[in-house]
Amino acid sequence: MKQKTKGEQTGTFRDIAFAVKTLIQASPRFIFGGIVTMTAYWFFTAYVQEVLFLKKLLEIITEGGTFRDFMGLLLMFCVAALLAKGTDCLGDYFSSVGGKVVYKKLNEKIFRKAAEVDIECYENPEFYDVYKRATEILTDDIYHGVQFAVAEMVSGTFSGIFLIGYVATVDPKLLLILLSVAAVVAVQGRKNRLLYQRDREMTPNKRQKSYVQRVVFLRDYAKDMRTSDIYRVMQKRFHDAIDANRAVIGKYGPKLALFEVFAGVAAEVVPVVVTYSYAAYRFIVKRNLKVADFSVLMTAINNIKDVVRDVSGSFADLQERALYFRNLKQFLAYESHVVSGEREAGTLETLEFRNVTFTYPGAEKPSLQNVSLSITAGETVAVVGKNGAGKSTFVKLLLRFYDPDEGEILWNGVNLKEYDLASVRKQIGTVFQDYKVFALTVNENVLCRECENEQDRKDSEQAMRASGAYTKVSTLPNGADTVLTREFDDKGAGLSGGEQQKIAAARMFARPFALAVLDEPSSALDPIAEYKMYESLLKATENKTVVYISHRLSSAVLSDKIFVFDAGTVTESGTHDELTAKGGLYASMFAMQASAYRETGEEETS
Amino acid sequence: MKKTEKTQHSIPSNIRYIMKLMFSISPGMVLMDIGLHILNRLPSKLVSVIGIRYIIDEVQGGGDTAKIIGAVALIAGIMLAASVLNALGYELYIRKEQENLYRGIHAKLYEKAVSLDLAAYDNSSFYSDFILAVETSSENIQFILGQVRNYVTEILSFIIISSVLLSIDWVCLVIVLVFVLAFIPVGRKTGTLQMQRREAATEKHRRSDYFARIFYLPEYAGETRMNGITPLLMKRFSQSADEITKTQKKYVKKLDILFFLQDASVQVVGFMLVLTGYIGYRTIVSKTMSAGDFVATFNGAVQIGSAVMYLTVYAIRNFTERSKMIEKYRTFLACPVTMKDGAHEAECGEPETIELKNVSFTYPGNETPSLKNVSMTLRPGEKIALVGYNGAGKTTLTNLLLRLYDVSNGEIRIGGRDIRNETIASHRNRFAAVFQDFKIFGATVGENVALSPDYDEKRVMDALRHAGFRKELPNGTETVLLREFSDDGMMLSGGEEQKIAIARAFYKKCPYVILDEPSANLDPVSEYELNRSMAEAAKEKTVIFISHRLSTTRHADRIFMMENGEIVESGTHEELMAQNGKYAYMFRLQAEKYTEK
Repeated sequence: MKQKTKGEQTGTFRDIAFAVKTLIQASPRFIFGGIVTMTAYWFFTAYVQEVLFLKKLLEIITEGGTFRDFMGLLLMFCVAALLAKGTDCLGDYFSSVGGKVVYKKLNEKIFRKAAEVDIECYENPEFYDVYKRATEILTDDIYHGVQFAVAEMVSGTFSGIFLIGYVATVDPKLLLILLSVAAVVAVQGRKNRLLYQRDREMTPNKRQKSYVQRVVFLRDYAKDMRTSDIYRVMQKRFHDAIDANRAVIGKYGPKLALFEVFAGVAAEVVPVVVTYSYAAYRFIVKRNLKVADFSVLMTAINNIKDVVRDVSGSFADLQERALYFRNLKQFLAYESHVVSGEREAGTLETLEFRNVTFTYPGAEKPSLQNVSLSITAGETVAVVGKNGAGKSTFVKLLLRFYDPDEGEILWNGVNLKEYDLASVRKQIGTVFQDYKVFALTVNENVLCRECENEQDRKDSEQAMRASGAYTKVSTLPNGADTVLTREFDDKGAGLSGGEQQKIAAARMFARPFALAVLDEPSSALDPIAEYKMYESLLKATENKTVVYISHRLSSAVLSDKIFVFDAGTVTESGTHDELTAKGGLYASMFAMQASAYRETGEEETS
Repeated sequence: MKKTEKTQHSIPSNIRYIMKLMFSISPGMVLMDIGLHILNRLPSKLVSVIGIRYIIDEVQGGGDTAKIIGAVALIAGIMLAASVLNALGYELYIRKEQENLYRGIHAKLYEKAVSLDLAAYDNSSFYSDFILAVETSSENIQFILGQVRNYVTEILSFIIISSVLLSIDWVCLVIVLVFVLAFIPVGRKTGTLQMQRREAATEKHRRSDYFARIFYLPEYAGETRMNGITPLLMKRFSQSADEITKTQKKYVKKLDILFFLQDASVQVVGFMLVLTGYIGYRTIVSKTMSAGDFVATFNGAVQIGSAVMYLTVYAIRNFTERSKMIEKYRTFLACPVTMKDGAHEAECGEPETIELKNVSFTYPGNETPSLKNVSMTLRPGEKIALVGYNGAGKTTLTNLLLRLYDVSNGEIRIGGRDIRNETIASHRNRFAAVFQDFKIFGATVGENVALSPDYDEKRVMDALRHAGFRKELPNGTETVLLREFSDDGMMLSGGEEQKIAIARAFYKKCPYVILDEPSANLDPVSEYELNRSMAEAAKEKTVIFISHRLSTTRHADRIFMMENGEIVESGTHEELMAQNGKYAYMFRLQAEKYTEK
């Protein structure tokens, strides 16, 4: 147990060191500016102004100094004060600007990593949580918090030394008061643990509350909220969460109150009362305390107390916030499983899955089991099957979002893993079911880079004509230079799902590709748009290799090969005619879908 | 404040409103919070002025031991009481009451949110504006309470310390006030600058946060890996981050100069030089001031300075800023609901005739109507299909039927009664609706199917079976879906989610069913089965079906082909095919591959 806490301790220090190092690397101005500001402020206020200044002036007054001495000292202090204030402001300027530089640099670091990690990271809740917490550093609260805590610790220690030094010159015994303060710091750890426990117990309720809030306010849920009683479910959840929180707070309340009473008495009441009693004793009984010392002693003790409290509080804050940096460290240290190989991939000639088995991390059952199939360049291949049969997994492995657990995928006869990842992906054009457009101009959305010259514009236009997006785009106020989405441009174009899908599809045509992977590209489209997209995809991919995934079996009819997936394996393969003749799953699925389309076809009775 | 619009409330009005609201939810908490704060803060402020002065003077004037001990004991007593009461009150009462406050504030918002017209969501500023205000409302409201108690404390400390200073030497008070008051405009200016900086930063951050989101959200991960857009996104992010830094520089430079000016003038020149010089003169040269007075005046000046600064600058700034949020909260709660309840309770019994008469509708903020002069009559128990291009107005039509919006022109009648004559709840209760963009809730399977906290277990299971849902449920209808609350919540695939949504239509006992693209995520087998069981279960009901898959709509009693907000063709499948118009064209396109042989 002891061992473990020790390990945790060093872990914490390492986190703190990492946090500070990361911030200094991002912008030295940020941390150092913060320290300078805070030190200038604290040292000046807590020591120079409230203690030294008053003490010196009072000494002149009570020991019969002249007014000239008094004013001389006063002026000296004023100059010192101006310097301190100036330093304070300058430091603030640097740290405020530095803060934004940190925001930029850290984000860039995170983005670069995010762009490179495996897709798995996004699907693995644990890792995703690490990512999430790492990004939370960029909320002001965390990284400014670290800066603030570091600055406060440095400046607190610095002014603390001077204050303690002063009190010691009056009477070292007085420092015993610090024991009382130290006792509070000592139990602070236990109280923090208690608080942490309490907060953790409330976390599920907090999640519940924020979920209810989201459901109640987001447009996505608005229709269901209005046409059903689901609001009552949410309402109940909400009240349950609040009641649960109250119970947790009630449970911890007495213990925390005890800590607070102790802390209040030991850190606030005892120092004041003891100092007063002590001073009164020396004043009255011994008659050997200077007025100057008496007047500032109180302030000095008070400031020491504040400094100790703040420094220990800062340390606790720092520990807590450094945890987020631990997540950043983990995130940055993540090593992708999908590692790029060395070889430059040649133009696709053959693609083969050989006994490929794959289980998603954390899943029990494999999603693909012993899948073998081969595709030759120039073929159009349809992949069909029921929901959850493994079609999308097949695509993910093909794109190397994941690597197979067993078996291999061969590109021109060589294991896919041996190739440079970029050289493979460059050859693959994709249109996904969950198309995405970005808050960029249409041209940028299509080209996936800035549109630099006339040639780029032409390429983009051609690609959009191929996908059918151009008809709509040409009607936009700024044509292909219109910014999409209203994310941050109120004049941005909000397109319908179908139009967005066409723009996403145009990306594929904007660059050369050897293999097209189309994952349900037409699910958002109306029949005519679907037909047109299908036609244009077909035309544009002539002589190209195409892997087409769709529930619409009509798209399978003309393909050179059909692979039927069922429960993670390929159960049938062949041409439409072959499979229909075979009378298996494909034949029955096709018959079902086709029955309703046949003009004369009556549905078979069941 | 001068810029406030006519409709807005003044800051004091907003504060009063919030204090009243809090008081009505938890009067005990409000009073205790303010009381404890004063008890906790005021004594230490006073001790540094009155206490020290008293003791120094007492000692220098000979020193009555009993009096000094009495003073120390009094201070000790007050501090002890304050400390203990504060700890107990906060941990045992206030902290718990804060949850109740949260409950009260949010319950009000939620009630309002669900009663709002759907049209309110079409207003894009509604999102950016109100949602933010709503999300931060309890935080803002508690902040106001914090400010109010600070305000009261500072006023008290100002009054008491000023009168002490006044009793020592009125000139001191004048010096303090002159310097502090002279710099109020500067303080105000910094307040405004800080506010402007925050606003400018929020605007700029919106942009940079968007790019952060793209890298963060899983749904973009595949796309960004395949299409090489990452460098462009990175570049755009850097640009917006640089903008942020630039804005920051601009404001911070001004702010720091003002801070310096203010500190140098008030604290250094005012307090350290002029005031201290004056009291030094009186103590040393004219000997009209005691050492105790000297200390008390000096400490008092610092306290008054911060009190006045707070009262005139910081408090105003904080109140002004939060008042804007409170304003939004109030505006939200006062947001008019244009859709009015009718007087009549609609019955949820047998289907009746649904009649649309010359219905037109334009979405708020749009110019072109989404529906133009649509008339149709649905006989009881009829199965009709709406087909057509994306954006033809099919979903809009169902929105109007459900009275999620009111028609702009024309009327909708059910059983001869205008649906606006029914109460909204009773009208909507007659429908079961599966929306195209249906949502699964972080709740149990039972609640998800019944869309209600109370449900019949057996009927839920039946409905699931009808919908073709076959996944095993470890806890039956109690199985929790999604991982919103519990990490062992069940995650479903798109197809399974769709089946849950469909099960809702099977579950609900009602005469009318609306199905908007119910089979979009289903494989051919599930789709086929769905069509079957729907036909079976909805035998007695009026069903309105929207689908892009014309195979599913083919067997409808009547098909309405829509285009640009109008019904262009209607009739049975056979009639429409014979008509050889748009529907026939569309059907043949889709059927082509299936029927080629």
